[in-house]
Order: sequence, then C-alpha cells, then structure tokens
Amino acid sequence: MPDSANAPKPSSSVKLVLLGEAAVGKSSLVLRFVNNDFQENKEPTIGAAFLTQKCNLPTRTIKFEIWDTAGQERFASLAPMYYRNAQAALVVYDLTKPTSLVKAKHWVAELQRQASPGIVIALVGNKLDLTNDSGSSGPSESAAAAAAEGGEEESGDARKVSTDEAKTYAEEESLLFFETSAKTGHNVTEVFTAIANAIPETSLKSTRGPGAANAVSRVGDEQRVNLTGPREAVKEGCAC
Amino acid sequence: MFNFSSLVQKAQSAAQQLIDPMQGLNLTNSDKNPAKSTLYQNQFRLPSSQTPLYEIPAELTIPPSNVTQGDKDRDRGWHYAGKLHLSEAYVCFSTTPTSFVSTASTSTSSAFTGQTHGGGPGGNGFTFPLCAIRRVERLNSQSFQFALAITTWNGISQEASKEKDAQKDKKDLREQRITIQLAGSRQACERFCDGLKRGLRSAVGHVPKLKRVIGECYSEYLLRPEDKKNASPPDAGLGMIFRYPGDPKKLRDRAKMRLWAEYLRDNGRNATLIRQPTFHKLIRVGLPNRLRGEMWELTSGSLYLRLENPTLYTDTLAKFSGQESLAIDEIEKDLNRSLPEYPGFQTEDGIGRLRRVLTAYSWINPDVGYCQAMNIVVAALLIYMSETQAFFLLSALCDRLVPGYYSTTMYGTLLDQKVFESLVEKTMPILWEHLVKSDVQLSVVSLPWFLSLYINSMPLVFAFRVLDVFFVEGPKVLFQVGLAILRINGEDLLDATDDGAFIQVLKGYFSRLDESAHPKSENPKLRAINRFQELMVVAFKEFSGITHSSIQDLRLKNKDAVLNNIENFAKRTAIRNLGPDSKLLNPDELGALYDRFYGILYERQQQDRIMQEDQLRRAKASKTTAAAAFSDHQDHGVEKGRVGLGPSTSLMDYDAFREFLAAMSKWAISDSPSSPRRDQFPDKDQGQYFGSFRKSSNNLLSPWRAGPEPADHEFMQRMFRRWDVDSSSTLTLQDVVTGLAQIKGKRDIMGTITYFFELYDDDGDGKVDREGILRISEALLFLSRRGLEGSLSVSNSNPSLSTLADANGPVSPPIGGSMNERFLGSVSAFIRRCFEYADPDHPINQAGSNQRYEGNAKENSDGSQTADNSAFVIGDDDEEEEEEEEEEEEEEEDLLEFEGPKESLKSTKKKPGLPSISPAIGKSDTGELRRVSKAQSEKANVALDPSNPLHMTLPTFRMVVLADELLEQFFESSFPTSIHIIDGLPTTAPPSSLTTFSSFGRSTITPVPIPPPGAAGATRGLRGVLDNIVTDASRVAAEVRRRMEEAQRELEKNALPGQRDEDDEEEEDIPGPKTADGYSGDPERRSVRSSDRDLLDGADAEAGAGKGQDGARQSILGSDETTTGGSGTAASATQRIVEFEG
Repeated sequence: MPDSANAPKPSSSVKLVLLGEAAVGKSSLVLRFVNNDFQENKEPTIGAAFLTQKCNLPTRTIKFEIWDTAGQERFASLAPMYYRNAQAALVVYDLTKPTSLVKAKHWVAELQRQASPGIVIALVGNKLDLTNDSGSSGPSESAAAAAAEGGEEESGDARKVSTDEAKTYAEEESLLFFETSAKTGHNVTEVFTAIANAIPETSLKSTRGPGAANAVSRVGDEQRVNLTGPREAVKEGCAC
Repeated sequence: MFNFSSLVQKAQSAAQQLIDPMQGLNLTNSDKNPAKSTLYQNQFRLPSSQTPLYEIPAELTIPPSNVTQGDKDRDRGWHYAGKLHLSEAYVCFSTTPTSFVSTASTSTSSAFTGQTHGGGPGGNGFTFPLCAIRRVERLNSQSFQFALAITTWNGISQEASKEKDAQKDKKDLREQRITIQLAGSRQACERFCDGLKRGLRSAVGHVPKLKRVIGECYSEYLLRPEDKKNASPPDAGLGMIFRYPGDPKKLRDRAKMRLWAEYLRDNGRNATLIRQPTFHKLIRVGLPNRLRGEMWELTSGSLYLRLENPTLYTDTLAKFSGQESLAIDEIEKDLNRSLPEYPGFQTEDGIGRLRRVLTAYSWINPDVGYCQAMNIVVAALLIYMSETQAFFLLSALCDRLVPGYYSTTMYGTLLDQKVFESLVEKTMPILWEHLVKSDVQLSVVSLPWFLSLYINSMPLVFAFRVLDVFFVEGPKVLFQVGLAILRINGEDLLDATDDGAFIQVLKGYFSRLDESAHPKSENPKLRAINRFQELMVVAFKEFSGITHSSIQDLRLKNKDAVLNNIENFAKRTAIRNLGPDSKLLNPDELGALYDRFYGILYERQQQDRIMQEDQLRRAKASKTTAAAAFSDHQDHGVEKGRVGLGPSTSLMDYDAFREFLAAMSKWAISDSPSSPRRDQFPDKDQGQYFGSFRKSSNNLLSPWRAGPEPADHEFMQRMFRRWDVDSSSTLTLQDVVTGLAQIKGKRDIMGTITYFFELYDDDGDGKVDREGILRISEALLFLSRRGLEGSLSVSNSNPSLSTLADANGPVSPPIGGSMNERFLGSVSAFIRRCFEYADPDHPINQAGSNQRYEGNAKENSDGSQTADNSAFVIGDDDEEEEEEEEEEEEEEEDLLEFEGPKESLKSTKKKPGLPSISPAIGKSDTGELRRVSKAQSEKANVALDPSNPLHMTLPTFRMVVLADELLEQFFESSFPTSIHIIDGLPTTAPPSSLTTFSSFGRSTITPVPIPPPGAAGATRGLRGVLDNIVTDASRVAAEVRRRMEEAQRELEKNALPGQRDEDDEEEEDIPGPKTADGYSGDPERRSVRSSDRDLLDGADAEAGAGKGQDGARQSILGSDETTTGGSGTAASATQRIVEFEG
C-alpha cells in the first residue's frame, strides 16, 4: 500500500477504525482478519496500531486501512484522531460482558455525532467461542433464550448479552450486526466483507489522498485483481 | 485569584509534596514566571520539598587527580565559575548561568538558560545531599576571600567496614575534597555559611539513610576496595540475570565501563558525583549496561526521591498488599505483553517485578493509576535497575519528566503532540505542508514515540541511548529525536501520501538504524557511522535550538486548545453517558449543566487551594522549621480540578451545590451575605450530614469568591438530599442531571407537585405532617421571595376555589398588587387549606375538622371572599388593598371584625406569641371568624394543635395546590423556569433585583438585634405597604386596639406548645422595647408596629404549626409574649414571618 500513487492499484482504500472497551478482542479480530492468526497474549495497543488488508468483492477490491485503537478508557480521548475521516467503523463488544455493550453504544453515539457523515458502522459481539452457539452459523435462538434466563451455569454458556438485544439495538441505529469469534475465526471475514459491501460507491470516490481520486478509473483493474485469491493480499502490520 | 498568585506560588513551592504531577508542566498562570523553587527543583532535579534558601556566586575548584586525562591545569585542578545554591537538604553548584535573575522576586524568576534550560542538571557542578557532606572547613588562605573546603562521604559504604587496615587503603579511597570560593559580599557569605551550618547539622541524622540508598548503587560495587572483591553486586536490573539487550562487544560495554570507573573515581560517585564536561560526553556515547540504571536514577533525580523516603516502595506494597483496584486489573492484563521479546519478561521473576512496580505506583499516584505504555517503560527500566529504583524513576518520569503523559486524560501526551506538530511546521515547512495536503495526521505516528519514549518504536539498544540523554536533558530530547527522524526521512516522507505509507517509511527506517548511514562513502570513518549515530547528531546539532524553554513556550501556547479539546470530548462523552433522565433535558441544557457542574467544582478547588496555601504560608511564617508544613502534604499542586487535566473530583458537596444553584436561580442567593452559616436542619442526623461542610468558613478569604453568596435554606438541603441518591453527601453530575430533569424536564404540573410533596415526605409514607406543611409553605415563600418567574396570569374570574368541594364561594376580583403579593396570599391560603383538608391522625381531630367544615359550609353560603381576603390579609398591597379593605369594612361589618384582630395583632408588637393560632385561623377563614367567635376558632385551632397530629396526603396536596391558580402556575411554570440552566443569572448584583420581598428571606441573619433604622430599611418594602394600610385606614386603629387585647387574651388561653420557636424568627430586628412606643407614637411609628404585628399575625399560623426547632424557646414564646417581645430574638421573629409570607 505504500505507494498508491505510483503503481496502478486496483483497490480503493477504506479507512476503518476499531473501537470498543478494553479486552473485547479488537486487536484479535484484526489479527484474525489480516493474518488469519490468533494470539492469547497480544501486545497492548499504544495509541493505535495500523494494519492493512484487502477485501475482494465481485465488483471491486477494497483495501482496508485498519486503525486498531487502544481500548483503555483513558485513550478514548485520542480516538477522534483515529476515527477522523474513517469511512467505516467496527464497534466491538464482548458478548460475555454486558458493560462492554454499553460502552459500544457510547462509541456508536460518538461516531454518529462526530465522525464523517455516512460512516458505515458495524456492531460486533466478539468471543462467540465462549458461548453455546459457538461455531454454529447464525445466531441461535436457543442460546439467546438460554442467556435470557441466565442459564449459563447449566450449559457453560458465558453469554451475557443476548443476540436479540444487540440486534434490536443495531437495527434501531442502522448498524451492521455480527457475532464473531476471533479465536475460531467465525464470522470475522464476513464482517469485513459486509462492511466493504456497505461502503457506498460515492464515498469511495472521495477517499483521502490523491490515490483515491483514481479509484473510479481503475474499476477495470480491480476486477482483474479479483482473480488473485482473497488472502494473499498485503500483510503489513505496523507496530507504531 | 490573581491577587494571590505570588503568595500562592510561594506556598505552592513549600507545599509541593514528593510527587507533584504538574510540576514539570507547570501549567498555572505562573507559567510565564514559574516559582523560583520550581526552577530550582527542575534544574537540579530535586524533590519538591526543596526550596532555594540561599544562592551565591562562587568558584568551584576541583583538585587535580593523577588519573584523568586531558588538558587540565596540573597545578590547580579545574575551576568552574557558577553559582552555589543551598536548600533545606541540598547544596548544589552549577556553571549553567542559572535561573534566578537579580530582579526576580522571592517567588518568581525568569526562565533558565543554558544547555538544559533548567530542564535538568546541565553544566558542570554537583548536587550534594547535605548528608553526603562529611566536613566543611573554612579556609583562610586568601585573606579577604571566603572559601570553603567541602569533604564528602564519597565511598561511604566501603568505609563502613571499619577495618584498621583500611587506613592503608586510604590512598585508594581518596577523600573527595573540593574547594569553593564564595564571591558574594561578606554578609552574604556569612549568611550562606550559617544556612549551610544549620542544614548540615540537621542532615547528620540522615547519613545512615544515605548509606542504605547508595548501597544499592552499582558504582559502589564497581569501585569497591580490593578487600571486597567478593562482595555480591547490587541489583542492576534483570539484565544481570537475563543479559542486557544488544551485543556487549558491539556496544563497547567494557570500554565504557572503564571510562566510567575512572570518571567516578576522580569525580565522585552517585550522591557525591561532580559533573564535568566528560560526564556529558560519556552519557552521549551511551551508558554501560550495569551503570545505566544508576545513572538514569542520578540524572533524573529519582535518586533524591529515593533518598528522601527509601522505604516508600516496600512500604507501599506492604500497605496495600492484597487490595484490589481498577488499575491492578488493567496492569494484570498487560503484564504478559510488555517487552515480551525480552527473556526476562517471559519469566515469573520479571513479570513479578513489573507487577509490583506498576502496582505500587498506581497506589501512590491514584490519579494516574495505570496507563498502557507505562508497562513498556517500566519493563525497560527493570532491565537496568532494581524494583525500588524503577519505582522512583517512574515517579520522576510521570511527575516531572513527562507530566500528564499517563494521566487519565493524557493531556500531556496530546499537548506535546501539538507542540511537536508546531515544531515540525516551524523547522520543516515543506514536509509540514505535504502532511497537511495529504491529510496525514502526524501524531498517529509520533504519539507512540513520546508515550513509550521510543521504547517500542526503535530497537531497544537505540531506544536506551535516547533515554540516556533524555534523563539528563529532559523532555526536549524526545522532540529533538522526533524532529531528526522526520528530517532524515524527509524525502521519503514527501512521497508518502497517506497515513499507511507514512508509517511504512518510518517503520523501515527504524528497522535499519544499525546500518551505516553512509554505506557508499569512501571514508571508512563515515562508513562506520550508523544511522542511529547520524540520528543523534542531527537531533542534537541540527535541532540544538529546541530547548526546554522553547518547548515550554509552545506548551503554554497550545495548552488551552488541547485542554479544551479534551474537555469537549469529555463533556460529550459524559453527557452521552448520562442516564435516560438526561433525555428530559435538551442538549443545550445538559451542556450548560455540565459546564456549571465542573465549573463550580473547579473554582471551588482553586479557592480551597488558595485558602489552604494561605494558611500554610501563615503556618510556615510562624514556624522556624518549615519541615512540618510540607511534610506529608498531599496537595498535588497546580491547577487541579480542570477536567482536561484528569480527575480530581467529580463530586459536588452541599456547599458547592448551593453555589451551583445560586448561579442559576435567584432564590438560591443569600440575602444576608457573609453571615455565618447556621445549621437549620433540626433533624438529628442532619447536623452531621451537613455539619462537615465548609469548615473553613472562618477563613479570611470568602469561600464564595466573586459570585453571590448562596442561601442556605432548608429547601435546598432537602433538594440536595433528594438528589444525593446514594446518600454519600456528594452529588455526581448524574445526580444533578437526574435531579434537575425531574424538576425541569417533565414540564408536567402533577410531576412537579408530586416532586415537591415527596421532598417533604421524609419517611416516604405518602404523608406530610403539620411540620411538613409549614415547611412546604415556607419553601414556597423562600422560592418566591425574589419574585416569580415563568408565565403567570391570574385571570380575574377564574373561580378556582369553587372546584373544591367545600369551596368558599366565588372568588372576588383579584385585589390589586403585584404578583408576588398575590402569591403571598396564595401561600397563606395554601396553609389554611392544608390544615383544613388535612387528615387527622386521630378520630378526635376528625370531629374537630368536621365541625370546621360545617362552619365552612355556612360560610360558603354567605359567599364570603375567603381566598382573596386571606391574600390581602397577609401583605397585599397598599392602596388598592386598602380601598378594598375599606370597602369591605363598609360593606360587611364582619369582615371588618375579622380584619380587626389582624390589625390588632399587627400592632401588638409586644405579643409576638399571640398571633399564634386564632388569628391564623381567623385570617384563613374569614367567614368562619366573621360569623363566629373564639369558640369556633378554638375548635379550628385543633388543626394546629400538635397534640392532635394530622397529615396531608399527596392527593390533598394536589388538590390544595390546584385550588389556587397562582400556586398552580407556580408549580407548572414558575418553579421550573426559576432555574436558569443555560443563561444563568445576570451578573448584576442580586440586591438590585430584589423585590419588595427580597429582604424577607433572611433566614440566616445574625441573631443580633438590629437597630430600628436599619431594620426599617431592610424591610421597608413590605412594611411600607402595611404602613399605608394602617395609616390610611385610620378608622381601623381603634378596632385594632380592641381586637388586639382580645387576641391577647385569647392567646393566653390558646397558647400552645409546638409553636414556631423564636429561633426561626430571630431575623426580625426591631427590638422589643421600641414597640411599646409604637402604639402611642405618631401614626407612622405605630403603623410600623402594627405592620410588624401583622407579620406576626401571619407568623403564628406558622408558629402554631411549630417550626419546632427549639422546644424550650417555643414555650416561652407561646406562653409569655412579653418576654419574647422584649428580646431581640422575638423581634426577629417578625422578620421570619415576613419571610414566611413573602
């Protein structure tokens, strides 16, 4: 990605920011998405980490410039620096921790008021692997019900936020909604793909930097590049 | 506050405790003129307990040593001209043209200049703890000169081994002896020496502490005498176990070590080290691994912190052992991910050290607690130093070197990013332009550099070299290095067009720092220079203009913007996070509330600090040894309370709450400024609940600053308690928002009525007793005493009363007079109706009230004018009213009769007690009284008889309120609108906006009797009104007399316990004796008296209900009016009554 101006790049860049309470798995989601990897002990994010990954859609390639922000509360005041100009945001909560959904709602409200208009926001409940419906595709009613009646002790289900609750909220606020597991990889790519699909064509034209201006003229290229499988794209992380 | 600034600074400097988070940043209004002590502490990196006592120009002579190379003057050693400074426990010398310009006042001084610009121990010289000085001799060699020879405890730890044959090692352990020639006037020299003597004497006791502290310094081991070669080295960090990062050969560690050993041998070690030019050079080339920790400790000044309290670390750990905190949770999460690539941090040993240091620090500085990035910094420190050393270095770092970096708002980080950006703009305009054009935000790249001191940006070996210089020269190093990085990569960066590319360029650069900077150069020497060396050269040569003071200037310039940003963010967040109640208020109101809330807290903190410091200063002035004044002083100093600087408090106590209300509501402003606070809350627990506030009221400085002094009314106390959901005696923003939302948000009269009712329903049983009813009416008067706000329109014809079952017939056209006066009437009617409709607690009362109802019924049929009468009775206005009165008199004899007693009461100045019941009833129920007799009124009095308790339920309360148009409007609009959240009150002084009733609210006036003239002035408004009534209606006078006597008799019969006690009524100021002549004097005089009496008349309604604050006095008041009448307190009763009615 370093030189979007020179080499003909078929992708349009999308700035995506991850927000959410500490230790909900923001960095892990990114790591899963970018490197298809999972680490139990990830270095804490100081300020923000920057990574990129491409996402291939039938009609275009989206290159995500991912700003993975620090979750510690006091870093919150730095967040505006990172979500500035972001076209997409992943607001992550931990579905075993109800307070993290509250925090997520705060972030959604903050983004809706302060971020660029038209930002695509996805609400993501992470750590699905800790619940009964881990691995199963799609939210299961039974798990939600079990959580509702607080039945985790009988089933070992750590879920504390029901799918319905989060989903209802997401619908109210017109957010994309997913439940994921960075550990198993469940639904992770789907989140990013859904975001890529949700980014309006018009907002791509107005991406930052001179490279972005060319985005439209390169549509042809994009399609060619689509042939090059989904995962081999750039794997560059930056610790800065 | 500005008036105090200089004294504040002085006090501040004295008051600063060991940890002073703002000190380095120095963010006060004294920024431009920092306190001398701050400069002094910064320059020599001394603990904040040190204040400069004496300073004197001097010449330092260091004797020649046989070892050190170089161009020394063999005969005379080295000479340095500079200044010698003495503080409580340190004597310091620096060649850096210091600090304190001659014009500097005692408290301020201009900025430093010199290499470190006050940012560190620059120049040549020393910083000796007095306890490290063994001996000071006065040399007389040069007759007219004043010279001192100082011998230090250099190497003291070895001398502890008192072996006799140590004598022969003496030459090895050369005594460190330096000579200082003082260049001041004889007098100055003597003063300095006296100070030094005193200091030395008190320092003697600290020698063992010093021994202990330097025993942990590696230099002591390094320079140990031959006979101790087998001693085990002190802890020099995890590196001793897990190896130090980097290749020692490549780092030329041995060579460096040799150089250092030589330097330390010649110039003293640790506490007794003397800085000569070689010292700075040695640091620039990088410290040797094992000495690195000690040198960091020494140059950062954390050694002195450790010396001050060597056991703080272990004590802290022991003290908080087993306790939990949010910080600990956060720390725990990061322990496994701090420099995980270093082997030491893959073991329990390393992790344990990290955990303990971070935890201990989070305890001693809870304001900072734990911030991510501290884990990385501490992990790095622990490679080179012991836990204790790392702990103190972390303190020095957080508090002085990078202040505010790790605070909860990270304002220091954000501020320095702004500073860095402006430096880039200034020094590299082309690059800056490019960044702006391509919309790359520099701080996304540079923020981690600063926050983790380059530790996780560069390879460790290089990051540590940056740290070496950083600890000596201060934070400017971070800027210099950052600028150099951008300068060196300028061309590549100009090609980068977005954040990603930008980051990529720099990441690549950092990974190649060890490569040759000039790989293609012909010159092998040039080829040998690696990129890091190049970076250092660029940083310190090219950007040598970046100094401590230039950074300080930029910080000042950007400070407000940064803090505002943070505060806006915090505000946004806080407001958004307020509960559902906040939705009842509009965003503007919430914003204004937030500002007011924190504004008050901030200002109060400032005020408290000034007062505190003032006291401290006095305390200090009165003591010769100041030590007590600043020991243990936990004031974190400068500019606390501002939201952007991190949390200080977010809790509002009752006094702050009063101030908060007084800024928004005119009724919350006191009528009697600077009156001593009086606890009005009679409930036993109340004394304690509110008792703790404002202990400082006896202070010279007003606790209310510029703003109007807030009132302290029982209503406000109730409100506070109601809002104080968790009974913590403090309100959070959430409490305040919720509380106000309930009043202002609903805009629903029923809601407001219910709210009011609940305020007075102490036990929550849905009943308000007699006492409560009276308190409610009192509150209504309190709230309205400066006039009503909101949309009030009393239609002339609305027969609101007829809606009541037992309504008293059609309302007569409203009598003239202002809204407030009418409100007075409404309240009066309110009381009456309350008692009328209250439910008795006992059946007996039921009977009584039934009877009364009957009376009312009759009265109805008579079509009397109850409501309006009562209104005008209480204090309605002059002419019109009088006319009305006269009319009534003419038309209806009965009415006159009724009025009669009232007037009589007015005039019976001597009988404050009398007004008790019967007149109240009479007043409140004209028809009744008119038609009937004392007997009847006595029956009615049952309602007021405390032995026949009664209560009012919410529905009754509602009914009563709704029965009166004005009250209804009060609850519907006037009360909610009386709180001006957004625009607040006009700044004009409150007195100007007082209505005629303004002075009636003197609930807290001093009980001292005020001479009549003053009193007349104070209460002129209402009294004037009443005067007119009386004078004009001269016909009434005779009747008044008669009635008065009657009433008195009646009173004597009816005297009730549980009347309002005089304590409440103290406010009135007409002394009793005067009243006597009031009756016989000129009409005016008399009328004044009668008006007073009238007030009393109103009062007794109140009194009868028993304000009940002071049982003993009550009985006096009730049974013997003369006594009370004669006393000043009784006089004030009148006032109180007026308040009650007004």
